[in-house]
Amino acid sequence: MTSYIINLLVLICVNATLAVTLNFIMGYAGIFSLAHAIFFGIGSYVAAYVALHFTGSLLVILPAAMLISALVGLALALPALRVRGEYFVAASLGLQVIGVTVFSEWKSVTGGIGGVMGFPPASLPGLSFESPTAFLIWSVVMLVLILLAINTLLHSSFGRNLQAIRDSESAALAYGKNVAMIKTLSVVFSSALAATAGVVYAFYMSFVNVESFTLDTSVLVMAMVIIGGTGTIWGPLVGAVLLMLIPSLTSYIPGLPQTEVGSIQQIIYGAAMVLLMIFRPGGIMGGKHGGVK
Amino acid sequence: MFLQLLVNGLQLGALYALTAVGFSLIFGSTKIFHFAHGATLTIAAYVFYEMYAVLGWHWVPASLVCALAAVVFGVLLDRLVYAPIQRHEGSFFTVFVAAFGVGIVVQNVIGMVFGRAFVSIDSPLSKGVEWNGLILSPIAGIAIVCGLVFFGALQLFLTRTHTGTALRALADNPALVKVYGLSPRRLSTLVFALGSFIVVPAAIITGLTGGLNPAIGHHVMLISLAATIVGGVGSLRGAACAGVLLGVAESLALWVLDPQWSEAVTFVVLFAFILFRPSGFFGRPVTN
Repeated sequence: MTSYIINLLVLICVNATLAVTLNFIMGYAGIFSLAHAIFFGIGSYVAAYVALHFTGSLLVILPAAMLISALVGLALALPALRVRGEYFVAASLGLQVIGVTVFSEWKSVTGGIGGVMGFPPASLPGLSFESPTAFLIWSVVMLVLILLAINTLLHSSFGRNLQAIRDSESAALAYGKNVAMIKTLSVVFSSALAATAGVVYAFYMSFVNVESFTLDTSVLVMAMVIIGGTGTIWGPLVGAVLLMLIPSLTSYIPGLPQTEVGSIQQIIYGAAMVLLMIFRPGGIMGGKHGGVK
Repeated sequence: MFLQLLVNGLQLGALYALTAVGFSLIFGSTKIFHFAHGATLTIAAYVFYEMYAVLGWHWVPASLVCALAAVVFGVLLDRLVYAPIQRHEGSFFTVFVAAFGVGIVVQNVIGMVFGRAFVSIDSPLSKGVEWNGLILSPIAGIAIVCGLVFFGALQLFLTRTHTGTALRALADNPALVKVYGLSPRRLSTLVFALGSFIVVPAAIITGLTGGLNPAIGHHVMLISLAATIVGGVGSLRGAACAGVLLGVAESLALWVLDPQWSEAVTFVVLFAFILFRPSGFFGRPVTN
């Protein structure tokens, strides 16, 4: 395989992990968050910081990244428990804006706008992740593990409670479900899993910078989930593959100046979001009237 | 220093207030979460830039063409995007995603046509004049007066005219509006025209004072959304007051904070409101 294809596949896996974890709260809990890039960022910064100052061992880094991300996830769970719809979108947007400011201003930890670099490669006992192929295997394994974890959870009583809350919160309450606890756990779980994508990404790029964790990233991940199909198993994967392929495909359009490729790509996914919402709100893998209410 | 920051803050606040009032009017009466309202501001600002700075028109006809562009864009969006989604009984969520998509398309198309760099409009209107130690620009005064006049006119229209009353009724009970022989669809078009029109002075002020880039509408939209919620959803008075307050706060915060923190501070305030007083200053109580 050429390095170009390996690179694309690793990035697809990282983005698919983000889309799958976002879909978990969007599609199954009805919590529509625009702050997912923050948890991705926390994973990356924790990985870079721990690797630079302590150890490159993933046995330390992965739990640390997931724990810190889960704690920040609690901050997002607070408004999710109190308000819905437009208020929650605004609250998550707030967390996103505040997070980016902290990422770019907390210079001693995040390196400010310049970012963090020069940290040692990731390692597991007996393994070191340095070749592109090693990263590809690692990112695929992570994605599969997360898919399995989420699938298991969705088929447990916790998952059924979650979907019951999405469909009717008052009915779930009336049945004596602890709505607050279930919602909080789902947000915390999603945040912790999103951080693992950040860890892979940080070591893969061997460079961490706030540019990767802005509102644009949150919107891109949201677009993957929506275009693929909210609340479906395959939707976020299909969305991630499609949106990651668009930049490569647009580079084959003849006569298109290289400087405009980024814009064309954004226009394509913006337009896809509009057209899908009009004609197929459930996304490519979803039903005609599916999706989150 | 304090007075200068206050004046700058009022000018910024007028801009936020006008955008927030347009958004709040549309959301309050049609329940459409018109997140592409920021795109209307961007389009209007660039049309003004093209007519005034590039083609060299007088500012009056330039403003008129700019207003026409904003109104046409708002109404077309309502007709072509929001109306079909509402026919499918699309949720708040569906409308929001579509609006976000429109925002992305507009921002990038403008970026391709006009470039992504900041452009500023050189005009005698934006030159500072010194008065009692304060630097005042004529456009800041015009902005604040415009804000007050537009807002007053809108309030009079909504409270004193038959159509205005119908608009307010639309928010509470669209079915009842239909019973009285008024078409919710046509009222919706009117609301979009009004809401998009009121953003025009904000767009012109933005262009003349701070300059433009394709993302400018996005930033103003984020702040206006904060103002709408802090002021209380559905309350135009609340949106206007909160817009002015956020503008003044952002400007005064420069005293103690670096400018990079201003957006974060706005959103900390918003976060606190959502947690502790989601109904805002003047809004009705929010039930979960």
